[in-house]
Amino acid sequence: MTNDFMLLMPLILITAGAISLMLAAAYEKVTIEQAAFGCMGIFGVAFLVQLSNCITGHVAPYETVFNNMLVISNFTRVAGLIILGCGFFTAMSAQTYFKQNNFCTTEFYSLVTFSACGMLLLTMVQELISVFVALEIMSLAIYILVGYDRKNKTAAEAVMKYLMLGAFAGAFFTMGAALIYGGAHSTQFSSIGQFVAEKGFFNNPALVAGSFFVIVAFLFKAAAFPFHAWVIDVYDGASAPITGYMATGLKTAIFAVFANFLVADETLRSSWVTYLFYFSIFTMFVGNLIAIGQDTLKRMLAASGIVHTGYLLIALVAVSAENFSGNVILYYLAAYAVGTLGIFAALSYLGGDGEKRQSFDDFKGLARVRPFSAAAITIFLLSMAGIPPTAGFMGKFFIITSAIDAGQIALAVFGIISSILSMWYYLRLVINMYFHEATDSFEDTTSNRYAPVGTFILAACVFVIGLYPVII
Amino acid sequence: MFEHVLSVMIFLPIVAGLILLLTPAGKGLARLTGLVISFASLILGLDIFFKFKEQAALQFVENVPWIPSFGINYHLGLDGISLFVLLAGAVLMPMVYLLFTTKEKGYYANLLIVQGAMAGALCAADMVLFYIFWEIMLLPIFFMLGMYGGEKRIKATLKITIYTIAGSLLMLASIVYVGVTYHSQFGEWNFAISQMSQLQLAGPVAVLAFFGFMIAFAIKIPLFPFHTWLPDAYTEAPTATTFVLSAIMAKIGVYAVIRFVVPVFDGEFARFALLLAYSGVIGMMYCGITAIAQKDVKRMLAFSSASHMGVIALGVFCLNVQALTGSIYQIVAHATSTGVLFLFVGILEDKMKTRKIEDLGGIAYKAPVFAFFFAIAMLASVGLPGTSGFIGEFLIILGAIKFNVLIGVLAGTTLIIGVCYMLWMFQRVFYETTNERTEGFTDLSITEGLTFLPVIVLIVIMGLYPQPFLSKIEPAAQQHIAALTKADTIQIAQSTHAQPAEGHTVEKKN
Repeated sequence: MTNDFMLLMPLILITAGAISLMLAAAYEKVTIEQAAFGCMGIFGVAFLVQLSNCITGHVAPYETVFNNMLVISNFTRVAGLIILGCGFFTAMSAQTYFKQNNFCTTEFYSLVTFSACGMLLLTMVQELISVFVALEIMSLAIYILVGYDRKNKTAAEAVMKYLMLGAFAGAFFTMGAALIYGGAHSTQFSSIGQFVAEKGFFNNPALVAGSFFVIVAFLFKAAAFPFHAWVIDVYDGASAPITGYMATGLKTAIFAVFANFLVADETLRSSWVTYLFYFSIFTMFVGNLIAIGQDTLKRMLAASGIVHTGYLLIALVAVSAENFSGNVILYYLAAYAVGTLGIFAALSYLGGDGEKRQSFDDFKGLARVRPFSAAAITIFLLSMAGIPPTAGFMGKFFIITSAIDAGQIALAVFGIISSILSMWYYLRLVINMYFHEATDSFEDTTSNRYAPVGTFILAACVFVIGLYPVII
Repeated sequence: MFEHVLSVMIFLPIVAGLILLLTPAGKGLARLTGLVISFASLILGLDIFFKFKEQAALQFVENVPWIPSFGINYHLGLDGISLFVLLAGAVLMPMVYLLFTTKEKGYYANLLIVQGAMAGALCAADMVLFYIFWEIMLLPIFFMLGMYGGEKRIKATLKITIYTIAGSLLMLASIVYVGVTYHSQFGEWNFAISQMSQLQLAGPVAVLAFFGFMIAFAIKIPLFPFHTWLPDAYTEAPTATTFVLSAIMAKIGVYAVIRFVVPVFDGEFARFALLLAYSGVIGMMYCGITAIAQKDVKRMLAFSSASHMGVIALGVFCLNVQALTGSIYQIVAHATSTGVLFLFVGILEDKMKTRKIEDLGGIAYKAPVFAFFFAIAMLASVGLPGTSGFIGEFLIILGAIKFNVLIGVLAGTTLIIGVCYMLWMFQRVFYETTNERTEGFTDLSITEGLTFLPVIVLIVIMGLYPQPFLSKIEPAAQQHIAALTKADTIQIAQSTHAQPAEGHTVEKKN
């Protein structure tokens, strides 16, 4: 039992931290600044604990805790590590972001931490009801964070869309879970897997329908085609640090639980893979088409997030249930998270008061005025575009390798074509930053800022992860 | 000199370039650093040249595991083919820093990075490593072209970048396919180029992978239908970038065909050689004819360069030792002659503020040394006997006639087009009457003259006494051809089955 608690240490730390931040927020003496530091500290400590867990690895590679409710494996550990990292850098960017935007209260950081609880739990759950609970813990906090700027119309629109559609997705999930329980007489992934292995899958309509609903819910949360329409407006309406957080931490959690669910049984997986194949292709191409047409940076990044979901679906199609390690998915998630968080951290301090710099044109000539920031953004963009020697390249390389290895050559080719298309909108920003004269002075009036620090740490991480792909 | 000489040649310039970019160094310091480092590379390159043994195997090998779970290694090595391209770069790069003294810091820093990346692409003996350097090579070009280029630079930049990246990504898919096939055939992950020749590749996917590689390299060379980025990029780019693109980077495309496509896809290569050879010849004729009509000296040289790349590529597709040796020899010859010509045009542009042929005239009366050097480089470029261009082109035509008489004859006659546009341009720019503008043209300064002198001498030496170079190229060329002809006989043996499919595929491609 004590061992169980040790394995869950990061989760417990985060939960305790979230509650204490919420309590601390009741005191007027606690400033927003202090809350930000508290949040960073909690994530930092939890990150280090998780890291030491990963490195020492004193437990078996796959271990169940609390009567098979949760599972701890290398996969969940690394996913947790990514989420904690995302939380840390989100707090860092938010600290600077709220020096230029003044709708923050101390509860903000508590909510960020609460959502991280849900995400961490999601990576570990092995049981449908717990999935639902974790999903809701995460989503509720995220709903509030998206609409934090109450007086802002776009934020209100974003939270409305996200809440309504997210509620539908939640309902779909519950429905699916109920049907699966009806079909397989269990909510535990392993028992469902056993049941499918023994009794078959397609002769059980409740199971087919149930897993369909569950997968729909996951695809919705991961912003895959055809459930991608909410992404653009929601990402656009949320504040820059939160957009970054949603694009990375939330996606990591969803893909972790998605992969865990799919590999519960080979029959289950292989029967859905055919459809995921098409979902992945459409997700990539629809995402690209949307991204090409965007004029503001956040919307472009939102659309490119859809494209990356498509790549991750390729990896998901290529996993095998027998020998699941999930390395490729995790590596890609880490690489994508570093790039996306970095660019949103940069946006947090370059956006200016009330996020006044938003469009591609607003960033013209950034390289002349702030060469280091421009270089960092370029590094993140190149990583997302998959140009070596960045982490994004390695991620893409591993995904293509796993796809071809699994015999999905068509999928690999579509992935390649999609990344050719994506060059256009990534390069567009680089061209605007470097090849035009500056029209804006990109002044910064605030002091004591952490987002630039975070940006440069992440820029270094792009190369570190790219050149030493330890997860693989 | 020491064990890790190749790593030093790769990373010394890259690290220096990055340090320059990250520190607030001034222009002067940047240029000085570039000069020192490029001379250091030159010395290392010469050292490698003299220690290089006349054999086919890889030399100066470094092999360190990098991503063991996928069998990706940090694996470097040189053979007779890469040696010469590497040397061409090492010899030519210092000239840029000597000639162009007033550019910005980023200009010199990017040049350093591209130099290191090109060395990396040439030395890489692991496919993934090669791909990484191949892509890094493009980034400095992207920034130099976009930041320091001419008026229409952004359009040209986008064109070259998206074109090249599209090609590269197709190559990436092919690399992965080859690696995965190796995994399934031999049970272990490996991306070493030397191992890939053992693969048995067949079937439609192998053909696709072959074209993935070929298109990537054809874009870089550029080979006929993929050449459209070239005139814009070459014309808009600052002189040093055009110089790097034409003198070295294009050659890396040809080198990569010899190094990757020929050994790995021996069967497909032999099957499609005729198609590719025609593509080379057509490109040669088309770009040559277009060059005649150009009004801008730099644009004319751009087409001329594309035309010559067609010849060099043709040499590779002829599948015999003469043509391949000729190609590699011509790579060096063309790098020196065209590279120098682009530099001359850069000087001309700096002094005259124009590149229009009609605005120039009578420069030979004002600047005899400039005209003399220009003439030698130009004659080498058109392949006059006694210059370096002759040896290579002669060998290529010889091989082409052995391969296919029609292609040989076409290639031989097309060389005349080169003489047309070059000499006509020379007449209009250097002779005829001087005008107001060219009246004030000053001859090369002593520094500039001394900078060009070694390369001009090299052009003549390579034309008169090619043996020391040929003897280093031939073993590697023979090894490649031996591997190919072996595959060829297999093809012939299987021809009863393979023939219809073959004809069909060729037809479709046309």
